Amino acid sequence: MKNGNDTTTGRDYWRSLEEYSQTPEFAAAVKREFPNATPDMISENSRRDFLKVMGASLAFAGITGCKPAEGWPRWPEEKILPFTNRPEGRMPGNPVYYATAMELAGVGRGLLIKSFDGRPVKVEGNPLHPESQGTSDVLSQASILEMYDPDRMQSLMESQGSSGQYGRSWSEFSVAMEGRMARHRGGRGKGLAVLSEASSSPTLRRLRAQLQSELPESAWFEWEPIARDNERAGSRAAFGRPLRPQYRFDRAQVIASFDDDFLVSHPASVQYAFDFAEGRRMAPAGGGHGEQGGHGGDTRFNRLYAVEATLSPTGGMADHRLPVAPSEVESVLGELAAELLAAPGIDGSALGSVGARLGAFRQGNKHQAFVKQLAQDLLAHRGASLVVVGTRQPAAAHALAHAINAALGNVGHTVSFTEDPAGNDATHAVQIRELVERMKAGRVETLLILGGNPVFDAPADLDFGAALGQVDTSVHLTLYPNETTEAVRWRLPRTHYLESWGDARAWNGTVAIVQPLIRPLFDGRTPAEVVASVLQGGLPNGYDLVRETYQAAFGGPNGDGFEHTWKKALHDGVVADSALPAVNVAIDGGSLAAALGSFAPHEARAGADEIEVVLAQDACVFDGRFANNGWLQELPNTFTKLTWDNALLIGPRMAQEMGLADGDMVRLEAQGRSVEVPIWTTPGQAGKSGTLHLGYGRRVSGKVGTGVGFDAYPLRASENLHLAVAKISKAGGNYAFSATQDHFAIDEAGRKATQARLSSLIQEATLDEYLHGGHAEHGHHPPALPLWDPHEYNGHKWGLSIDLNACTGCNACVIACQSENNIPVVGKTEVSHGREMHWIRIDRYFRGDPDDPQVALQPVACQQCENAPCEQVCPVAATVHSHEGLNDMVYNRCIGTRYCANNCPYKVRRFNFFNFNGGMTAVEKMRPNPDVTMRARGVMEKCSFCVQRIQQVKIVAKNEKRPIADGEIRTACQQACPSQAIVFGDLNDPKSEVRRQEESDRTYALLDAELHTKPRLKYMKRLRNPAAGLTATHEGHGAAGDDAHHG
Amino acid sequence: MSENRDVQLELGRTPLVIGGRDFHAVTEMVSSVVERRKWPIGWYIAFTISAGGLGLLGAMIGWLFYKGVGVWGVNNPVGWGYAIINFVFWVGIGHAGTLISAILYLFRQRWRTSINRFAEAMTIFAVICALVFPGIHVGRPWLAWWLFPLPYAQNMWPNFRSPLLWDVFAVGTYFTVSLLFWYVGLIPDIATIRDRATTKIRRVLYGFFALGWRGSHRHWHRYEVAYMILAALATPLVLSVHSVVSFDFATSQLPGWHTTIFPPYFVAGAIFSGFAMVLTLMIPCRTIFGMQDLVTMRHLENMCRILLATGMMVGYAYSIEFFIAWYGGNPYKRFAFINRAFGPYAWGYWTMVSCNVLSPQIFWFRWARRNIVVMFIISIFVNIGMWFERFVIVVSSLSRDFLPAAWAYYRPTWVDIATFVGSFGLFMTLFLLFIRFLPMMAMAEIKGVMPEAHPHHGPDPAERRGTDLGGATLQPAGALGRGREQ
Repeated sequence: MKNGNDTTTGRDYWRSLEEYSQTPEFAAAVKREFPNATPDMISENSRRDFLKVMGASLAFAGITGCKPAEGWPRWPEEKILPFTNRPEGRMPGNPVYYATAMELAGVGRGLLIKSFDGRPVKVEGNPLHPESQGTSDVLSQASILEMYDPDRMQSLMESQGSSGQYGRSWSEFSVAMEGRMARHRGGRGKGLAVLSEASSSPTLRRLRAQLQSELPESAWFEWEPIARDNERAGSRAAFGRPLRPQYRFDRAQVIASFDDDFLVSHPASVQYAFDFAEGRRMAPAGGGHGEQGGHGGDTRFNRLYAVEATLSPTGGMADHRLPVAPSEVESVLGELAAELLAAPGIDGSALGSVGARLGAFRQGNKHQAFVKQLAQDLLAHRGASLVVVGTRQPAAAHALAHAINAALGNVGHTVSFTEDPAGNDATHAVQIRELVERMKAGRVETLLILGGNPVFDAPADLDFGAALGQVDTSVHLTLYPNETTEAVRWRLPRTHYLESWGDARAWNGTVAIVQPLIRPLFDGRTPAEVVASVLQGGLPNGYDLVRETYQAAFGGPNGDGFEHTWKKALHDGVVADSALPAVNVAIDGGSLAAALGSFAPHEARAGADEIEVVLAQDACVFDGRFANNGWLQELPNTFTKLTWDNALLIGPRMAQEMGLADGDMVRLEAQGRSVEVPIWTTPGQAGKSGTLHLGYGRRVSGKVGTGVGFDAYPLRASENLHLAVAKISKAGGNYAFSATQDHFAIDEAGRKATQARLSSLIQEATLDEYLHGGHAEHGHHPPALPLWDPHEYNGHKWGLSIDLNACTGCNACVIACQSENNIPVVGKTEVSHGREMHWIRIDRYFRGDPDDPQVALQPVACQQCENAPCEQVCPVAATVHSHEGLNDMVYNRCIGTRYCANNCPYKVRRFNFFNFNGGMTAVEKMRPNPDVTMRARGVMEKCSFCVQRIQQVKIVAKNEKRPIADGEIRTACQQACPSQAIVFGDLNDPKSEVRRQEESDRTYALLDAELHTKPRLKYMKRLRNPAAGLTATHEGHGAAGDDAHHG
Repeated sequence: MSENRDVQLELGRTPLVIGGRDFHAVTEMVSSVVERRKWPIGWYIAFTISAGGLGLLGAMIGWLFYKGVGVWGVNNPVGWGYAIINFVFWVGIGHAGTLISAILYLFRQRWRTSINRFAEAMTIFAVICALVFPGIHVGRPWLAWWLFPLPYAQNMWPNFRSPLLWDVFAVGTYFTVSLLFWYVGLIPDIATIRDRATTKIRRVLYGFFALGWRGSHRHWHRYEVAYMILAALATPLVLSVHSVVSFDFATSQLPGWHTTIFPPYFVAGAIFSGFAMVLTLMIPCRTIFGMQDLVTMRHLENMCRILLATGMMVGYAYSIEFFIAWYGGNPYKRFAFINRAFGPYAWGYWTMVSCNVLSPQIFWFRWARRNIVVMFIISIFVNIGMWFERFVIVVSSLSRDFLPAAWAYYRPTWVDIATFVGSFGLFMTLFLLFIRFLPMMAMAEIKGVMPEAHPHHGPDPAERRGTDLGGATLQPAGALGRGREQ
C-alpha cells in the first residue's frame, strides 16, 4: 500500500537508477525511449528474448525491492478484510477469494478473484453480485493475463520533445504538477482540462466534483469509444429525462431485438444471458419419455426475433432473424410500430403522438410477413414481451422502442428504468469534439488524460493527435504504452484493477468496492490517486480516497458503524442496497414526436459501389484496449472463427457479386479517409453491408498486440460513430487469416457431408415437435457391444451436461478454461497450422440459405468416454481411466506419439508441438494456476473436467466427513458460463442436476450411436421456437440445406 | 533327390547364369567388385551425395530435437504426417528382401539366388531407415525407450493393448531375424573374400566376420540347417510385420483406417514396393558392375511379373475398399473414401492409383518386361505410388474425420521433406558401403543353380566325387566352388 511518503519499493528502484544517472552511460541511456530495456535486442530478436530481458530487469528490480517481483501480496499498512474461506490465518497453497470489480467503459462487473499465496490467478463471477450471480464474461476472465503482462507501462517517463525521455518518480511528477497547478489555481482552473474514460466510480465522481468546484474554469471531458450515448439520448427523447433501461428477459415471452446483442455485447450481458436462458430452460420431463404431455414442469419458452445486419450471438440464438442493412433496422422498427398502432386495443397514449409519422411505414412495408407475425406475437403477450434496440441504432429508434414497450404494457414488467449515472452529460462524441476545439484554440495548457487511448480511437474527423500537439503539458495515465502515450509529455503507469483501490457501479447501479489483490507489480497509480494528487498535491492514497467517499453513506467517520459496513462491502463485493431504484416513467409525447421528427422509412443508405460498414465493438479486444492480451487475440470469433485479426465481414452474395474470396483486400473510403482491409465472408451478413470490428491495427502496443489486424477507426466520424457509408473497391492482394475452423475452403464433397451429418451431431427440434413427441430419434443403429468388460463406478461417476438451448457462443468457457488450466497461447502462425490449444472449443455450423442461415453452436471438450478410443491406443499407458470415469491424462508418462489424438473422434486432444510455455518472465510466472501442471513440449493434453477442482472439494468434504453436495464442484467452464448451459456433477447421485439432465429425453451423446464411446459429456438438444404463422427462411429441424455456404 | 529334379527342370529353361561362366568366373565377377583397389569416381560422387543426404537427415533430426515436433507440418487433426508415412514406406520396402530370401527359398524358386543378397541388404537398410522414424516422431524422443517392456523404477509396463507396441515387437523381431538371415547367408562369401584377401587388415576383418568358416561339409551342414530354420522363421514374419503395421491403422476407429482388409492389403503393397525398390537398385548396379550374366533378363522379367501381380493385388484392394465403403453403409466411411478420391487430397489419391495400378499394366507385354529402361521407370513410379499410398491413408483419413469443425488441411514443411530426402541419404549410404565392402551377390548360392552344380552335368570326376561324398543335403555349388579355388 502506498502511503504517500515515497518509501515504496518501486521508488527505491528508481532511486538507485538516479544514483546511477550520475554516470555518462546513464545519461546516454535515458535518451533512449526505455532506459530500463534494451531496444536493440527488442527490435532484432524474438519475443522470448525480449521477455528474457524484461525478466532480467525485473530481477534487478527485485534487488532493491523484492516484494513486487516475488509476488508478495499487497499487504496494506492499512487493514483490509478479505473475503476468505479461512478467516483465521492463511493456509499456504489454499486459495483465498476476494471480491472486487472490474470497470469497463463505465460499467462495473462484480468479480470474485481466486488468489494463491497472494497471487491472483483466476477471475470468477461474484455470486453475491446481482448481475454476475457467480458467472462472468470473456473480458473479465481474460483480464488476469493483462495484469501480469510485462509489456505494461512500468515506470514514469517524461518526454522532452526531441531531447529524449527521462525516467521520473511520482514525487517528481507531483512536484511538477504542483508548479503548474499553482498557475491554474490563479486562473480558477483556466487552461486545465481532464479527459477521462467513462467511469462510474463514485470516488472519481467525487473528486471530479471537487475539482470543478475548486477550479470552476477547468474542464472535465469523457471519451469512451464504445459508449451507450444513443440509448441515453433515446430515453431522454421518450421520457423527457435520461434513463437507463433495465430489462427482465426472464419475464419476457416474446423478445424482439433490433440490432441489440444483449446476450454478449451489453455491459449487463452476463445477467441478460442468464435471464434469457431461464426463459427457455425446459424443465425436463419426469420420466415420461415421448409420452403426450409427459413433459411435466415448465414449458414456458420464449421466442426471440432479431433484426440485424451483422450476425451476432443474439441473432444466432434467434428463432427468427431478419437480416437487413444496418441503416434499415430502424425502418423495420418503424414498420412494427405502425403495425402495432393499427392493432385494435393498443394503448394509444404511448404511440399516439407519433402516429402520423408512423403512417408512412404502413405503405411501404417491405418486411410485411416478419413484422406482422412479430406484431401479432407481441400483442398476444402484452406485459410479457420486450422490444430492445442496440446501442448502434440512433436515439430515435430507442425512443420508439420505449414507446412500443409502453404501449404493450411491458414497462414495469419486462423493462424498468433507473436514473443513468451519466445524467445529462453531453454525448462522448460531443465532449471530445469540444475538447479538441479547445485544444486547437490553445485554451488547454495542461491536459490530464486518465486512461484510454484517444489518439488511436477518437473520431477520425477530429484529428485528436494533431490537437494534442497544441497542449503544453499533457499527462497520460495508462496501463500500457499506446498511441496516445507516444504523444504526451508525462507518461504515468496506471495500476491494473487487481492492484487498485477503487469503486464502480454495475449496470443496475450496484456499487462494488474495487480492492487490490496484490501490491502493484509496477510503479502504478489509479486515476483517482492521480486526480487527487493534482488537486491536493502530494501523493494521496487510493485506499483513503475510496473510504472517504463512503464516510457519509456508511455512517460516520471511522466509527464502528463505518468499519462494519465497509468490511461487509469489501467482503460481499457489493455495497448493500446501492442498486439504482426504478423510477416511474411515462412517455413524453411531445418529446417523442420531436425526436422522431425526421423519422421516415428509407432504403439502405449505400449507393452503387458503396457499402454500409458497421463499426462494431469487438468481442475480444473491445475497443482496442485488450490488444496485447494473447488469450483474447487467440480467441476465435464465435461465427467467423478468426483469431488474431479482424476483417471486413461481408455476406456470401456480396462477395460473389464483387468476385472476392476470403482474404482479398478491399479499399474502403469514406469522407476522404480510407482503409485497406481484407474481407471474410460471413453467412448472415445483410447484403450491401459489412462489419468491421474496432480495436485492431494498433500501431503502438506491446509485443502481442502491435500490428495485429486492421485499424477501423479512420472510418469513424464523430457524427456517426457506428456506421460508415464507404466506397468499396478491390485493392488487390490477399491476406492470410488464421481461423480455427474451416482452415481451408470446403469443397463440394466436404460441404455435403457436413450438412448430412449436422442433424445427428447437433440435434435440434422445434418446441412443437418436442412437446408433442414428433421429434425424431437420431441414429438408428444396431446395439453396440463392448470389446471389454465395462468399467465399474462404485464411488463417484462424474458427468457433464451441456444445454445447447442455452449456449450463446460467448466464449466465456473457453477463456475460463484457458485461465484455469494454464493453456498456452500459440500465436497466429501456429493457429494457421491448426495447433491452437483450447481444451474447449465451440464448433459452429451454418445451415440453409447462406445469406440468412441458421446457426448451430456446440461447445466441444473432452467427452470423457467410458469406452475411450484414446486409452486403448496409447503405447505407454499415459491416458488411463479413473475409477470415477475420468479419462486421466498422465503428462509425466506421455511420450507424445499422438496416436490418442488420431483415434479421438472428437478431436479434443491438444499437443504441445513446441515448448509453448517456455520463456516466461518472472512476472508471468506468477500467473499460472498452481493446481494445474504446466505441460512441457511433446506432451498431449486435454480437458480433465477440472480434476483439480474435483480433488479440492473431495479433500474438503473428506476432512469434514460429509458427502459432496451437488453443485459443490464447478468446472471452470461451468462456473464462467453466463447462461449456465453447463452442468457438472455426480451421475451416481440420483438427485444431482446432471443426472436429472442426463435422464431428460432431450439429452443425447455425440457419436455414441456410431462408435459406442459412451461419452460422459452429454448434450441437450437445442429447441427452436419458430412462430407458426411465419415460414422461416430456414429449413426446419433435421433438414440439410443443400445450398449452405460454409461447413 | 527332389533337388536334382529341380536342377534338371532348371536345365530345361533359360539358364540362370549365362555367358558360359564357370564357378571361378562367378567368384571373380562378384569378388572383384569388393577387391578393387581403385573405385570409380562415380562411386565417390554417389557416396558424397548420399553421405550429404545422411548429414541432412542428422541435421533435421537435430533441429527436430532442438525445437520440437512442431517443425513438421503435423497439426491437430493430422497427428501423424511424413514420419509415419516414411516409416510405413520404408518398412514396406524392407519386405522384398525377406520375401525373396525366405519364401522363395522355401518354394525353391532358384532364380532368387542372383538377387537375394542384394534384396536382403536392401531390406536391412530399409528397415534401419524405417526404424529412425518411430523413434524421432514422438514428442519426447528421449523417453521413447518407455515403449519397451523394461523392468525399471517406475514399475510401469507399456500398454499391451496398443498396436504401436505390437509394432515395436513386430518390427524389432523382423529386423533381428532379417539381419541374422542376411548375415548367415553372407558367411561363406565373406570367407571367400577373406581367403582372397591381399592385405592384413582385410584378412583380419573378413576373417572375423567369417566366423572361422572353412567350407567343411560339417560347416555346410550347419549352415544349411541354420539357413533353413531362419527362412522358416522369417517367412511368417514377412506376413506378420506389415500386418501388424497395418494394425496401427486398422484397429483405430478412424474412417479410412478402420478396415479389415488392411493386413493382406499392406502385405501385398509391401511386396510390391519392395520388388520395385530392388529393381530400382538392381538395374543400375547390374549395368555398372557388369553382372548381366548373373542377373539375367530372366531374373528381371520374373520381378516384373511379380510387380504386375502385386500391383493388381493392391489395385484390387483399392477397389474393394471402395466397394465396402459403399456396401457397408457407414456414412462416415463412405465419406472418407469419397473424400480420398474427390476431396482436397484427390491429387494424392490419383497419383497413387496411376503409379500403382495403371503403370505396372505395361508388364503384360513381354517387350516391356525385357526392356530395362521401361522397367526402371516403372519401378520408380511404383516407389512413388507406394509412398503416396501411405500418404493417402495417413493424411486424407486424419484430415477429415467425424466432426467437420475439426477438419484441417495438412501441409508438410521443409523439415518434413528434408528429413524424407535425408532418409534416402541414409539408405544409399548404407547401400554404397555394402556394395563397396560386401559381395553383392550370393556367390555360393549362384553356383548352386549353375549347370555345373548338377552332379551329372559334365566330365568333372573330382567334382562329382566331391558331391557324392557330400551327402543328401549338401549344397553342391558352394562346396564345389570352394574346392576349385582352394
